[in-house]
Amino acid sequence: MLYQAIPRILVAALVAAAGSPAGAVDFHSDVRPIFSDRCYTCHGPDAATRMSALRLDTEEGAFAALPGGGFAVVPGKPAESELIKRVESADPARRMPPEALGHPPLAPEEVATLRSWVEEGAPWSRHWAFEPPRSPRDAGEASSAWARNPVDRFVLARLREAGLEPSGAADRRTLLRRASLDLTGLPPAPVEVRSFLSDNGPGAYERAVERLLASPRFGERMAFRWLDAARYADTNGYQNDRERDMWRWRDWVIGAFNANMPFDQFTVEQLAGDLLPNPTRDQLIATGFNRNHRGNAENGTDPDEYQVEYAVDRVETTATVWLGLTMGCARCHDHKYDPISQKEFYEFYAYFNNVADRGRYYKYGNTPPIIHAPTREQADRLADLDRRIAQLHEGLQVLAPKIDESLASGGLPAGIDGWAHSDRLAARRTFDEAGGAPRGIRGRAAKLDGLRHFSLGNAADLDFYDAFTLSAWIRPEAATGGIVARYEPDGPKGYGMFLVDGKLQLRIDTSSISDRMRIEAVHPVPLGKWTHVAAVYDGTRTTTGMALFANGRPVEAASLVDESLNSTQSKAPLRIGHGPGPTDRFRGLIDDARAYTRALSEDQVAMLAVRQAPSAIAAVPAADRTSAQERKLRQAYLETADSGRAAAVWNELRELRLEREDFLDSLPTVMVMREREEVRPTHILYRGSFDAPREQVSPALPAALPPLPPSLPNNRLGLARWLTDPSHPLTARVTVNRIWQMLFGRGIVSTVEDFGAQGASPSHPELLDWLAADFVESGWDVKRLLRTIVTSATYRQSSKVSRRALERDPKNLLLGRAPRQRLPAESIRDQALSIAGVLSADSGGPSVKPYQPGGLWKELSNWGAYENDHGDKLYRRSLYTYWKRTLGPPSMLAFDAAPRETCVVREVRTNTPIQALNLMNDPTYTEAARLYAERMLREGGPSDKERLDYGFLLATARLPGSSESGILRASLNRYRDRYNTNPEDAESLLAAGEHHRDASFEAPELAAYAAVASMLLNLDETITRE
Amino acid sequence: MSVDSAITLTRRQLFGRSAGGLGVAALANLLTEDLGAASGQPALPGLPHLAPRAKRVIYLFQSGGPSQMDLFDHKPGLRERQGTELPDSIRGGQRLTGMTAAQSSFPVAPSKFSFAKHGESGQELGELLPHTASIADRIAVVRSMHTEQINHDPAITFLQTGHQLAGRPSLGSWLSYGLGSESSSLPAFVVMVSQGSGGQPLYSRLWGSGFMPTRYQGVKFRAGREPVLYLNDPEGFSRQDRRHYLDDLSALNRVHLDEFGDPEIENRIAQYEMAYRMQASVPELTDLSAEPEHVFDMYGKDSRKPGTFASNCLLARRLVERGVRCVQLFHRGWDHHNRLPHNLRIKCEQTDQASAALVKDLEQRGMLDDTLVVWGGEFGRTVYCQGELTAETYGRDHHPRCFSIWLAGGGVRGGVTHGSTDDYSYNITENPVSVYDLHATILHLMGVDHRKLTFKYQGRHFRLTDVHGEVVKPLLA
Repeated sequence: MLYQAIPRILVAALVAAAGSPAGAVDFHSDVRPIFSDRCYTCHGPDAATRMSALRLDTEEGAFAALPGGGFAVVPGKPAESELIKRVESADPARRMPPEALGHPPLAPEEVATLRSWVEEGAPWSRHWAFEPPRSPRDAGEASSAWARNPVDRFVLARLREAGLEPSGAADRRTLLRRASLDLTGLPPAPVEVRSFLSDNGPGAYERAVERLLASPRFGERMAFRWLDAARYADTNGYQNDRERDMWRWRDWVIGAFNANMPFDQFTVEQLAGDLLPNPTRDQLIATGFNRNHRGNAENGTDPDEYQVEYAVDRVETTATVWLGLTMGCARCHDHKYDPISQKEFYEFYAYFNNVADRGRYYKYGNTPPIIHAPTREQADRLADLDRRIAQLHEGLQVLAPKIDESLASGGLPAGIDGWAHSDRLAARRTFDEAGGAPRGIRGRAAKLDGLRHFSLGNAADLDFYDAFTLSAWIRPEAATGGIVARYEPDGPKGYGMFLVDGKLQLRIDTSSISDRMRIEAVHPVPLGKWTHVAAVYDGTRTTTGMALFANGRPVEAASLVDESLNSTQSKAPLRIGHGPGPTDRFRGLIDDARAYTRALSEDQVAMLAVRQAPSAIAAVPAADRTSAQERKLRQAYLETADSGRAAAVWNELRELRLEREDFLDSLPTVMVMREREEVRPTHILYRGSFDAPREQVSPALPAALPPLPPSLPNNRLGLARWLTDPSHPLTARVTVNRIWQMLFGRGIVSTVEDFGAQGASPSHPELLDWLAADFVESGWDVKRLLRTIVTSATYRQSSKVSRRALERDPKNLLLGRAPRQRLPAESIRDQALSIAGVLSADSGGPSVKPYQPGGLWKELSNWGAYENDHGDKLYRRSLYTYWKRTLGPPSMLAFDAAPRETCVVREVRTNTPIQALNLMNDPTYTEAARLYAERMLREGGPSDKERLDYGFLLATARLPGSSESGILRASLNRYRDRYNTNPEDAESLLAAGEHHRDASFEAPELAAYAAVASMLLNLDETITRE
Repeated sequence: MSVDSAITLTRRQLFGRSAGGLGVAALANLLTEDLGAASGQPALPGLPHLAPRAKRVIYLFQSGGPSQMDLFDHKPGLRERQGTELPDSIRGGQRLTGMTAAQSSFPVAPSKFSFAKHGESGQELGELLPHTASIADRIAVVRSMHTEQINHDPAITFLQTGHQLAGRPSLGSWLSYGLGSESSSLPAFVVMVSQGSGGQPLYSRLWGSGFMPTRYQGVKFRAGREPVLYLNDPEGFSRQDRRHYLDDLSALNRVHLDEFGDPEIENRIAQYEMAYRMQASVPELTDLSAEPEHVFDMYGKDSRKPGTFASNCLLARRLVERGVRCVQLFHRGWDHHNRLPHNLRIKCEQTDQASAALVKDLEQRGMLDDTLVVWGGEFGRTVYCQGELTAETYGRDHHPRCFSIWLAGGGVRGGVTHGSTDDYSYNITENPVSVYDLHATILHLMGVDHRKLTFKYQGRHFRLTDVHGEVVKPLLA
């Protein structure tokens, strides 16, 4: 096992060599991390687990007199400092940290660091990340011809401290490819490479950067990591993990990045767009950010438990993304390392605990609160419909006197009394023709004796997301019974309007008692008297979308159950006087029962309740008619008059209104934030458990962070504005750090998710502060920030690694060269599709399903099979790939994509054989290789050399060197021989994928090129951003 | 992540040709460290913490919640209480699932199945487990398992990752991270899911690596022509073609390495070689044609059918023979809310024989001593009936307060029955074992101190057992 021993010895030497400059111990980077990691568990912020009076997380605590006499820290005097004595003690019973409690002793270097710190006077300062950025104007000392902007002067200063120099600039091809991949996630096209190379004027690179920043592909690239942070996905994430629709939010993000929305606005709209004055639809869509968390729809779920989990998720995500703090650690107890008490956690949580959502999510589809979120084209069409409807409406107003005239003249159309409101009328039953039927309210009625009922046939076959209206005249003799309903034969699944203990009920039921929507009128309907009753449901899957009416007027009703998860569709016919069971039959008279497959307006319901026939209404002087009577008369007239301008206008208007309604129904929705009217109280939860509420708390910010400015409201909107206050110590630093990570593979603070005491110290603290201050001063201008960084000399360096650099700074912490980074998962696929020439340029829209091995969904769940899309949808950018949370796209996950179950901001890159198999054998890539080969043959030129050169250029933006060319040619010739000998193998190799094959190429030739193309797609350089 | 980065650091340092100086053999060994799942990657420094009793673990996970009082937790006294109301004193404010919370009556449903004592130990088992009965002296039955979760998703997630919400590494990932792999051509952690067994869905987070790098996640083996995703070369591309392809690819990569000097390129070359080796080792592994007749007979007729639990048990044995650290089988369909007697019999027929055969097979090969086998689900089931209780049939809801599992091999004391429950198999009366305790015990048997195996993320040194967990000593041989 010799080989295991070597590295550790080397590590120590290397760390010493590459570490901080010899000399003073730095409290921030050297001492506090030891305290935090090794001492805070018992001597830190958590009062509950503090083992003695000594606290090492605050200055007062560390320098206070110890209860047993003496001091833990006596500046300059290690021998008198109890801290040093205890960590150096040879006696295990006295030594700190106590081994008996499972804490290993400090390493000798750690002890030495603490000793030096005390010797040097034990300087103390607050944790750097909670202090405002120091806003250094520039790194004054280090100046050189190399530096292009302040970024470089900070980097150079650190390099020189360590005795290193930066690398020279990367060659122009590499630089263009680097910037293209970083800013758009795509490689440069050959024409872009050519035009860049031929631009020899000053500022050529800057111009290329401007082009990339202005590309619509830019917003898509920026969205890659924002979607990870926002745990965006196309499914709910628990158990059966069925679909939801949040892509309108995703497209909002892309649009915002492309429009270079200032980051403070980007923040406020996503966290609290709903609380802005008169929010626009886009501002509401933006709030989908904090509805992207998983939602549990499992049958046995306790809604209260998950209500808590959702709010906690919002807190953790918001704190990670904007504050770089691990606030979730304080859910069960005071934070072990950072100054956040458990109480402060719940005070912060209170900002997110008043969302009008529900603990149990719908099994599929969006869970309220939701809004219609038309795309721009859809919004345009809607506006057009509205405009035409308004015009027709106006036209009708103009014609009103003519209608009055006709009505006054008594010239009623012949069939007017047979008229009934018929928009989406699915079923209607009257009993006027039935022999022996008793007198009804308007003709004859059905007499129901508690046994018999009437069928309306297979009408209004609806599920729980379909709107409907039910109505009837009733004269009940008993207090309970079904009026109009559609239920499984003697089963509890279906929907209907009922009388229960004299009160009207509207029910939409499944067989599970906890999976229903029901409302009930507060006051009873009188027995033995005629009443017109109606029930309306708007299809929104919640009882707030249900209403009851008596005699045309809405009645007060209470929600009884409001959980709608599973299908309520029933196979039985729609029936009058019949409910789900034998006890639910109606006794009394029923007349004119109707079912509409849309939600009627209040006015329309009022019209249904008008008993008089149109001719009878016409006989009443106009001034004495009710508005409902007037409406009925006019509508009946317009719809039965067989000619006339007014009738034509009216009928067009009717159709347009229905068209608008259907269109509205087809629009995408998105889940959004909305505050509850009645504030949900927030309690400290003992050990974080939903069923152990303790002290009640109000929304407030942690004391260690700046207070809420008095001008701001103490709600989510205030919180969002507070985050983007220019003086906030964290938001800008955390944001620029994430951007830095995106470009350099590692943040200036490598723990991008944790700026707390346990986080890494910044490698370039002044640079971080300068970038943050500059970002805020620029008005949170994201494109400007990117421009500053990518035009710096630091960014432009070559990624070649010299022996000296490798020895002195193996991890490239000091940025003496450009990092080589494997491309993110999305870019690996997007690039291959782009090289193959099939990448779709479409932006946005519902997520798509590219190739995926068969059966992956089926083998883990009984629900749902993955069927890939076809045509262009197979070649959309990877950020549009359908993301099922419990089973993400395998080729994305193989390349370290975040699973989207929780917020993830750290970029991780690993290296596994599964990745190699994926790139070599996934039909995505074998098909891409074939299309790529076609391109080489079609566009490359007449000779092998030209074609291979072109292929190499497509993948790497450069031409192959002579040894590379030699390898490629030999490889091609070998495959050519092989496939000429076995043309059937060539056919097999070329068969992958649905894209048509260019028949103008012989199979063996194309296959030989495809094999080489696959190799180029697998080249380390191809999948690496150099 | 300090250990992790130390490894990366040295490897990077050592592989640059320009930084050279080490022998090729040393390079080749070191090279594998970052290659993860299938790499022969070594254990973390300092591990194992103690002498391991087991080198490998096979977890036969029974998803859905097998009914403990119909299989392991014999309650003869319930016969005479058939249909009587479960006393409030027993239920004691128990949290119920949303499915039975509104049920007005909680009638006792005694098991329809008989129990008998087996082996020298007199281990008591239900009649549906005749094959398990034949290994009664090898297994330790824990009747006092309990969990905090009452619904499938959080309960399974808790059992597999130590936390009910998504985001934590799975048990197999922890083992693979801590102990590394013994195989240079197979993953350290392999997962197989029985096909066609129905039941509640599963999720890839159950074998995911959570906040750890993806190299530690379980690799799912599938029944059929392509056991690992994308393992097979395309049609029309032979093994010989692949060899040439990789030779050319690495030649091209080396040209670049010479110019750029980034040791990471060497790593890329090794990654592809590893993939090439897997392409050979996986088909060899999954090809059961060389297994003798009597082995199939032992595992049962299903073992000839790829994708069944029995076939996967046989594969599990072949995997551990080849140095795979952790094998996780998932068998779905134990969620018997209704028609339990009928449905439970089917599940037992699918799993009983093969589970027992696996233990016997390992024993015959002298591998049981250092291979740990665990059998069990995510929670138990209620003594009270869900739905209609008749003379013939009953259903049971989820029950987190007690459930039964068994362990065998690798340092486990056979023939033990650990823990007990009250007359209703409702509350634990003796020796409760939490999910954390189970994890601590599994890690302990594998030579890992569960308090010391940590991974730093978001500033915290995370453990599989969080701040909990006690090794269950009476289970140890």
